[in-house]
Amino acid sequence: MSRCCMLSTSSSGRGRLTIAGRRGAGHRSQRRHRGMIAHPFKIALLVLLLCGNASASELVSLRIENQAGDEAKSFAATTLVGRDARLQLLVTGELSDGSQLDWTHQVNYAAEPPGIADINDSGLVTPLANGSVTITAKSENGKAAQATLQVTGFDQNAAVSFPSQVAPIFTKLGCNGGGCHGKASGQNGFKLSLLGFEPQADYERLIKESRSRRMSLAAPDQSLLLLKATNVSPHGGGQRLDRDSHEYRLIRRWISQGMPYGSGDEPQVVSIDVFPDQRRLGKTDSQQLAVVATYSDDSTEDVTQATVYESNDTEMADVTPSGLVKLQNMVGDVAVMARYQGHVTAFRADIPLGATDNWTEDQWPEPRNVIDQFVYQKLKSLGIPPAPECDDATYLRRVTLDIAGRLPTLAEVQQFQQDTRENKRETLVDRLLDSDDYAHYFARKWSTILRNRRTSGSLQLPNLAFHRWIRESIRENKPYDLFVRELMTASGSMISNPPVAWFKQVPDTNQRVEDAAQLFLGQRIQCARCHHHPYEKWSQKNYAQLSAFFTLVSTKTNGDPNEPAFFSRVGGAAARHPKTNQSLPPAGLDSAELSVPSTDDPRVHLADWMTDPENPFFARSLANRYWKHFMGRGIVEPEDDMRVTNPPSNPELLDAMAQSFVESGYDIKSLVRMICRSRVYSSAADANEDNLGDRRSYSRFYPKRLQAEVLLDAVNQVTLSTTPFAGMPAGTRAIELPDTGFSSYFLDVFGEPNSATACECERSQEANLAQSLHLLNSDEMQKKLAADGGRAAKLAADGRSDEDKVRELYLIALSRQPQPAELTAAINYLAAKENKREAYEDVVWTLVNSKEFMFNH
Amino acid sequence: MLTILGKASRYCDGVSRRGFLRIGGLSMGAGAFTLADLYRAEAASSDPRPHKALINIFLAGGPPHQDMWEIKTEAPSEIRGEFRPIKTNVPGIEICEVFKNLAGLMDKAAVIRSVVGCRGGHDAYQCMSGWEQNSLQSIGGRPSIGSSISKLYGPVDPSVPPFIGLAQPTKHGPWAHPGKAGFLGSAHGPFKPDGPGMANMTLNGISIDRLSDRRKLLQEVDTLRRDIDITGTMEGMDAFGQRALDVLTSSKLVDALDLSKEDPKIVQRYGDGKPYQYQYDGAPTCNEQLLMARRLIEAGARVVSLSYGRWDSHGQNFDLVRDHGGKLDQCLSALIEDLDSRGMLDDVTIAVWGEFGRTPKINKNAGRDHWNRVSCAYLAGGGMRTGQAIGATNRLGEEPSERPVHMQEVVATLYHNLGIDTSSVAIVDPTGRPQYLVDHEPIGELI
Repeated sequence: MSRCCMLSTSSSGRGRLTIAGRRGAGHRSQRRHRGMIAHPFKIALLVLLLCGNASASELVSLRIENQAGDEAKSFAATTLVGRDARLQLLVTGELSDGSQLDWTHQVNYAAEPPGIADINDSGLVTPLANGSVTITAKSENGKAAQATLQVTGFDQNAAVSFPSQVAPIFTKLGCNGGGCHGKASGQNGFKLSLLGFEPQADYERLIKESRSRRMSLAAPDQSLLLLKATNVSPHGGGQRLDRDSHEYRLIRRWISQGMPYGSGDEPQVVSIDVFPDQRRLGKTDSQQLAVVATYSDDSTEDVTQATVYESNDTEMADVTPSGLVKLQNMVGDVAVMARYQGHVTAFRADIPLGATDNWTEDQWPEPRNVIDQFVYQKLKSLGIPPAPECDDATYLRRVTLDIAGRLPTLAEVQQFQQDTRENKRETLVDRLLDSDDYAHYFARKWSTILRNRRTSGSLQLPNLAFHRWIRESIRENKPYDLFVRELMTASGSMISNPPVAWFKQVPDTNQRVEDAAQLFLGQRIQCARCHHHPYEKWSQKNYAQLSAFFTLVSTKTNGDPNEPAFFSRVGGAAARHPKTNQSLPPAGLDSAELSVPSTDDPRVHLADWMTDPENPFFARSLANRYWKHFMGRGIVEPEDDMRVTNPPSNPELLDAMAQSFVESGYDIKSLVRMICRSRVYSSAADANEDNLGDRRSYSRFYPKRLQAEVLLDAVNQVTLSTTPFAGMPAGTRAIELPDTGFSSYFLDVFGEPNSATACECERSQEANLAQSLHLLNSDEMQKKLAADGGRAAKLAADGRSDEDKVRELYLIALSRQPQPAELTAAINYLAAKENKREAYEDVVWTLVNSKEFMFNH
Repeated sequence: MLTILGKASRYCDGVSRRGFLRIGGLSMGAGAFTLADLYRAEAASSDPRPHKALINIFLAGGPPHQDMWEIKTEAPSEIRGEFRPIKTNVPGIEICEVFKNLAGLMDKAAVIRSVVGCRGGHDAYQCMSGWEQNSLQSIGGRPSIGSSISKLYGPVDPSVPPFIGLAQPTKHGPWAHPGKAGFLGSAHGPFKPDGPGMANMTLNGISIDRLSDRRKLLQEVDTLRRDIDITGTMEGMDAFGQRALDVLTSSKLVDALDLSKEDPKIVQRYGDGKPYQYQYDGAPTCNEQLLMARRLIEAGARVVSLSYGRWDSHGQNFDLVRDHGGKLDQCLSALIEDLDSRGMLDDVTIAVWGEFGRTPKINKNAGRDHWNRVSCAYLAGGGMRTGQAIGATNRLGEEPSERPVHMQEVVATLYHNLGIDTSSVAIVDPTGRPQYLVDHEPIGELI
């Protein structure tokens, strides 16, 4: 059927019929369709063809998911308690091809007996009277489903609870956000706690501050709170609330009840669940979500309307405030986060392409390791075909840039071409991992996020010592757990024990705990210093307990104040909760409290917890960080923000890599080997129609921009020039620099970070005009191109034919032979110019300004 | 052929270009903006409405608040000083007698006589950002207004940077800082007409014909598929590459800095601020920079900052104000009239202020010393409700007696005039935390 239904029945086929049809033959027909649509005859033919063989894909049955006592299959939100209750119905349609689709917004609802509950077109139920009511949902083609709901407590004018009913409204409407009343200083004299985490304080402010003028018990509608929220009294935040809304009525009733706080012992939300939690959907489909909160007394409540939703990729999916997810025209997977009262959960949707549904097993590449296994498992499930393997020249350039941070030399290119050994790629990876360049390149990466940063103008000994320690650790392949342990527990002076420099660079306990969590656990906990963050699970207590490990770190100076020694004091490791002032013992995240003997350095216990093979964060975080380095996009993206509401695109892959990393004894080189030897890493970057749209399933290699230092070194390598760096020996390459304090316009403009934070995001990979101008036109570039000992001068003076020289230049710059058209263009250009040296400058200029040069592909 | 080399940008201080290159070596480059900015800019360029802009004129050293916009006639002579107030074209508002031209334009401006919140340091930091220098230092500090606007809006014209700092290097460095990028990183720093970014805007060592030949060859061989890049950066680089080549053949930016392209009568109306007096370690009274600022905004700049004079009047306060004030009166009144006659005044805000005020008591050198309990500001244009004097100091000019206005309220007003709702717009810092631009609200009386 597919589109043909839509085309052939477009006049009568309103609403779901068209969508039901589209579901049928899937997306391949849609694609096939694309090139043909212009021709009426072809469309007619297609209609015939497709309708002829498509027997399936009509709506065959409906199901209302809200069913009591059937929690395994659906969800049990079937009771509305009290007059403020609301309940979201979820209706699922099953199609004749077995697929399931949300039908909530495409049915007519009826309630029997009348007068018990009201249902709108979106399936939202509101109570009218106590009783039992049977809901019937009916589709246009006559399929029907039923569910029975109970309304209780409608007649009881139960007291509205401020913390569990009123405060969440402020969150949903954005009143207590950081830009408005939630900021530390409040807004126009009215302050609320950020995102409603302190309802007691909010209550006090609302009721007691400003001579209680915010509330009017005598005339609730005249309460300043409601006048402002409805913008009747001019409100800087505009209208937030409609007079004719559930929220308005609820607040109004709360005021008229005398503004009770609540009993104080009302049940607390202990978890929230979203339904469905996972669905396989088609492009442009939509899905209504429902959210149910579970309370400490085991009762449950539908909180769909009070929940705040957010899509993790708005290019793939949008979500409305009432929880309707609308997919865009893309395949892949997307998550929608839901949060209510400090709890978060996520809905995940897969949007398959289906292009490989008819593939046989032998059409898939043979997996070489767990990476291939899980990437292909996902590609199979989404029906995205993998790209073919890249050629040798591309692989050599790619892996040399990724491991050694440089272009392959001419000799390496020629050698690799001639090498006929079966395992030459494996051998290459080993050779690169054993090279100095690997140590330099990854020392640069780590030194930047470990904030190895000079404190004044000139390079200082501690910076050099710290960089050297990092570099040598990488060179000798120090097990990662040991590397982190030596950093976290470092004591002594910077010269005697260089990793101590980290404690100098990251000067206070808060920054240390935040950096350590972000660097080694992939957790950003800085928000939890001041408040429970809505997207995170970490509380201020978690923060305080993690920081307790660092509270005994002290310094002493042995005469030289610039060379302090760090040590751990004897004492009880503890940190105070900022709100309760309670003294808390150290504890890892999601981990039991520890009692650390006062003679122990608590940091040793921290390192023990971090590097424990069972630690759920440590190995995953490193695996994800390295995956991002090689594959261009983290399984969790950004790579150091692995919170629960930012789920991995391929959790099995991440788990498998982490497990393998732990089992190897935290052997980083072996992790790199596993990635670089995988079939997935050696996929071509080129895309076909089916995998072009893939942005996170790794069906092909995603091209990566060369980072500032690598680009500068590559330009120097091709032009045969060097860049001087103050205080460093002549010929020092940019990836060898010990810190980021060297003055270089080139590095600045291409996004070199300042090492001011532990975040990889400080490195900017964005394009801008200044970069283009610099590479196309700067004095610096022109000097490199035109230098007497430079590449152009050498080639011009070389007696070989232009063809030979252009071929060699391509090998040097792009590690490959030129295509015939490229060769002809260059030869013609050279032939037309009288000044050979200038002409070669122009050809070199052209190559370094090409996208192929500036990217690792 | 190219005619844009050479003396396009003028340094009225007489400092050699070489000196600038050395001192300004760390300054960042031309129009550092992103692909998204480019697309936004191209969408915006089809928008017939003029863009909102800001000229932030920093009176380095701290102008004497009691000798500018509020003369303390009731104070005793050791405090009052030498100046008398004059009437303005707004009944009831009087300002210092040296601002004769501005008095006739009072309806287009507002003076704030009760600015508070000055930290007391001799730097432009608070006037450029609203924040004290130590705020968020561990992640690079707070971005200045121009940097935030660069981040939030990008450029109007992709070949003209959205944020331009005209301040020339001063011996006391912090007076010349045009506003920092802070945690936004150098891509959003001020474009300075003396850095390598500027040098890259004119051809370096090759002819236009040769550039054109290179360009043709590049088009032939640069054929890697662009759509395989999931980040979109390749297409962005192409777009910027094209822009860069356009800039090299005709630069609106270089032209805007070239006052020889301006009507001589208008140049004359602004004056040149010479001879420079009382300059010491500060900026010259370079009137032409105000005209450059207008030309840059016409070319597409959103925020232009500059440092005007050296108001640190520990001695000869009254002579200094007569000199600096008279010159400022000429160029500032010229700027207001000029913007007004071009129909730009409603879209362009002019802010004129310094880092703090000065002591009520006149010292033995006829000077006034540092006083951070109160300061002043002069605002014009920007679609504000002008023709007002806001706030007042007590009889001796020691502190606000009514309506203290925090420096951040002034900055919030500037953001407001630039179209930013400071209560909802936040920029995510490198640690992932959303940072609001200021903590105070715009000045209600003005918006």
